[in-house]
Amino acid sequence: MIKAANRLGLVFFPAYDWAISPTHPEREERLLYTQDQLKEEGIFDIKGITEIKPDIATETDIMRSHFCFPDVASVTTESHLISAGGAIRAARAVMDGEVDSAFALVRPPGHHSMKCVHGNRGFCNINNEAIMVEFIREHYKVRRIAIVDTDCHHGDGTQDIFWHDPDVLFISLHQDGRTLYPGSGHLRELGGPNARGRTINIPLPPYTSEEGFIYTIDEMVLPILEDFKPEIIINSAGQDNHYTDPITNMNFTAHGYALLNEKLKPHIAVLEGGYSIQGALPYVNLGIVLAMAGIDYSHIKEPDYDKNYSPQDEEITDYIKQLREPVLDNYFNPKPDMDRAPEGKFTLRHKNIYYDTDGIQESQREYIMTCKNCRGVLYIESSASINPPCVGIDIPVDGCSRCTKEGYRLFEEAVRQRNFITVQMTDRVNKRYERHSR
Amino acid sequence: MLLGIDVGGTHTDAVLIDEKKGIISKFKVKTDKKNLLSTIITALKEVTSGFDVKKITNVNLSTTLSTNAIVENRLEKTALFISSGPGIDPSNFSIGENTYIIDGSIDHRGNEVAPLDMASVEKAINECRKEGVAVFAAVTKFSTRNNRQESEIAEKIGKAADYITMGHELSSQLSFPRRAATAYYNSAVWRIYNSFIDAIIGGLENIGIEAPVNILKADGGTMPLTVSRKIPVESILSGPAASIMGIIALSNIREDSVILDIGGTTTDIAIFASGSPLIEKEGTSLEGIPTLVRSLQNRSIGIGGDSKIKIIDGEIAAGPEREGPCMADGGSVPTLVDALNYKGIIKYMDTSRSAEGIKKLAAGTKFTPEEIAEKAVSYSIRLIREEIKKILDDLNQKPVYTIHEMVHGQKISPEKMYLIGGPARALSAVMSDGIEVLVPENYDVANAIGAALARTTFETELFSDTGKGRMVMPNIGIEEQVTRKYSLEEAEADAKRHTSEYLEKSGYRIKDSDINIIESTSFRMIDDYYASGNDIRVKCQVRPGVIMYLHN
Repeated sequence: MIKAANRLGLVFFPAYDWAISPTHPEREERLLYTQDQLKEEGIFDIKGITEIKPDIATETDIMRSHFCFPDVASVTTESHLISAGGAIRAARAVMDGEVDSAFALVRPPGHHSMKCVHGNRGFCNINNEAIMVEFIREHYKVRRIAIVDTDCHHGDGTQDIFWHDPDVLFISLHQDGRTLYPGSGHLRELGGPNARGRTINIPLPPYTSEEGFIYTIDEMVLPILEDFKPEIIINSAGQDNHYTDPITNMNFTAHGYALLNEKLKPHIAVLEGGYSIQGALPYVNLGIVLAMAGIDYSHIKEPDYDKNYSPQDEEITDYIKQLREPVLDNYFNPKPDMDRAPEGKFTLRHKNIYYDTDGIQESQREYIMTCKNCRGVLYIESSASINPPCVGIDIPVDGCSRCTKEGYRLFEEAVRQRNFITVQMTDRVNKRYERHSR
Repeated sequence: MLLGIDVGGTHTDAVLIDEKKGIISKFKVKTDKKNLLSTIITALKEVTSGFDVKKITNVNLSTTLSTNAIVENRLEKTALFISSGPGIDPSNFSIGENTYIIDGSIDHRGNEVAPLDMASVEKAINECRKEGVAVFAAVTKFSTRNNRQESEIAEKIGKAADYITMGHELSSQLSFPRRAATAYYNSAVWRIYNSFIDAIIGGLENIGIEAPVNILKADGGTMPLTVSRKIPVESILSGPAASIMGIIALSNIREDSVILDIGGTTTDIAIFASGSPLIEKEGTSLEGIPTLVRSLQNRSIGIGGDSKIKIIDGEIAAGPEREGPCMADGGSVPTLVDALNYKGIIKYMDTSRSAEGIKKLAAGTKFTPEEIAEKAVSYSIRLIREEIKKILDDLNQKPVYTIHEMVHGQKISPEKMYLIGGPARALSAVMSDGIEVLVPENYDVANAIGAALARTTFETELFSDTGKGRMVMPNIGIEEQVTRKYSLEEAEADAKRHTSEYLEKSGYRIKDSDINIIESTSFRMIDDYYASGNDIRVKCQVRPGVIMYLHN
């Protein structure tokens, strides 16, 4: 009998009755063959591996991370609540000591969902990892969290949500944004004025192979994590770096994903993208499960591996080696933000965001307070092609009394002005989540 | 007349049931583990004595033979051929000394990725021949999607084998490790089981019973004797299922309910949802080894009438050790039955000996005998209650895979509790926890009644990839061409028709209306951006049930 060296919780929710559209990559069939493979391998019979039913995320869970416009119900369906609930359940299993680590194999994905939500972008409505992180911080005494996003696409949503948060280290390795959706995730993106160096982007060239990914983990990700000393490590486990993925151009393998996980040792992994549902997902997911459980995964190999996988070009190896120094510099010696406002004042950032799935255009004015006692109150005015102007105010975890007071002043003023169809207030200090709609 | 026999670990029970009059004869005898056959023949003779055996129309037998053979490791040397392709290291699934790992690979769609290494198959067969191995099991990964490589192994072994089990014939379900274990045990008990059956047939002939014989399975259903000769592993752990089927016959269960079978050493707990027993989805485990043998859900805890009463760290506890019989029955240490006797809840055999034992246990402790008896009973009840709660929590937290089930899934919350087994009536008075507690009549032979009245059960699954134009029903040997337009409706009709034909051919006696579709899905498959066919899966089963009810 096989026994897992590490107790692993698997929250498996394939949502067999939900799709974005009948032929969309994000459709009912996506995890079917993964489930077949896991069942055939007898994964659920392995001592130490437990399958866990997801929770259903509540409105409060979502409001902790997002400003939903006009409201939560308008931008989410049950599938999103279950997917986010799956991540929450995985976190609970780990935090309550039921298991050593957990893998939420859930869909739909979430890492392209930003702080403000008007609809779906990059197949995502709400950000499963972010909702999970805020759930953890609200219910457990955990402050320092690292998210390592290994999806092939830049985790722009997660980056946006934790942009101003010095306690959450977000590292994204992805196919270079110049060659792939969403087009962001460049080296110069390294966090807001109060959280410089807490967002780290590693844009990898197309056709990066096992060698390049493992080098990136060994030489960039692990040294940074070692310094940051997170209490919890989360892996946004997208699987679209696989050499068979139909919508990307990377050259990674199931064995590589397993090895990456073994090195990263995430407490919680949450599935993101990955659309080679027959040729990659069954093997990649199996690899991740075995690696997380501490079981030998050396016998995992894709059926077409010998035919279709090729090792990395030297040119790519050299390119990736040159990324090391600037990436480490971004974390260890981040350049300060030139626009940073003086203490007690707001720094303004303009943002334009396109929601590709739903075809929505959004404009934002985002204000963050410079504060020496907390990470600063956040105020965002957002208008979108489908919604008139809306406002979101966020008083952060461990927010100081000045920022809390300022948050409520901004809230009352936004409500009084009557210019906004909806004003959301997220007060993490007093755990109050309110919405005022006109 | 219907005859049912349940050969249990401790007792063997037999009943004779008349279709109009109900139970007309019952018999109980201690099981002679060394000679199950003589126990069965005795039971057969005694229970039918005074009746015209020619009027018996059906005999159902539940026996521990295969279970015991496996548990006591009285197994024939068996060669297991496994081929796994990519995944978990297949050497983890070796059983016994003759496991041969063969190169070859079939993927989750049933595509052959790498051919079988026939040279090493041949080498392994020669080795087996030299060692005198005569029974084999062939199991390849995803053989339920494509049995080609299992068949190739079996063909190659050919005459070298007295018997070969091919994994895909046992179940349509996915789980390579379970398939390997189940196929191995099937072959390993094949000979001992078949000679036992030969002896039973001889015995029946001697008594003059000519009725067809069926064998009980762990899912509370039966299989014809001839079928059981090929899949003897299906006869394991049929005892607890027989008891559950007995309760169904004895009680009119319609609600969510808890069924407790309180024995000497253990209490078996089963949950009914809306009056139906729950089936273990993946299969039962034997000695901690998961198998593909379908079974009714049933959990056992180490508390029963013969559980020893003890004092641990100043607290009264009972079980899980069995120190039976109770002192009232001549035992040497007080047990739960003695506590019940002391409290006057029951009057079982020599109550004065019970009192003596409890008093002796109390001497020199801070407890009065009354306290000991009281606490031993309440401890046992608490243990059972906690276990029930745990089972219900597990059931209600069972993973589901659709949004519909997630949002609209029904919760099980029992409204009634049914008690059977020796101390059932005694405990019924104290068990009540706000819900109605019932003890059915004739509960002492519920197992034999369940055996006698159990209907046949069966399960099969149809799997089709319309893009490839293929349809298979692995465990009944169906493989057909279908068109790209093959629909879910056609698949459901095919599944029912083939199942019905197979069952009729194999000697099962069922009505077509008993075959139910229990799962039916069709996934549109997309390659790149174009539809490439449908992935259709239809599961049908003949549910466990009883031929007739004995309650009013």
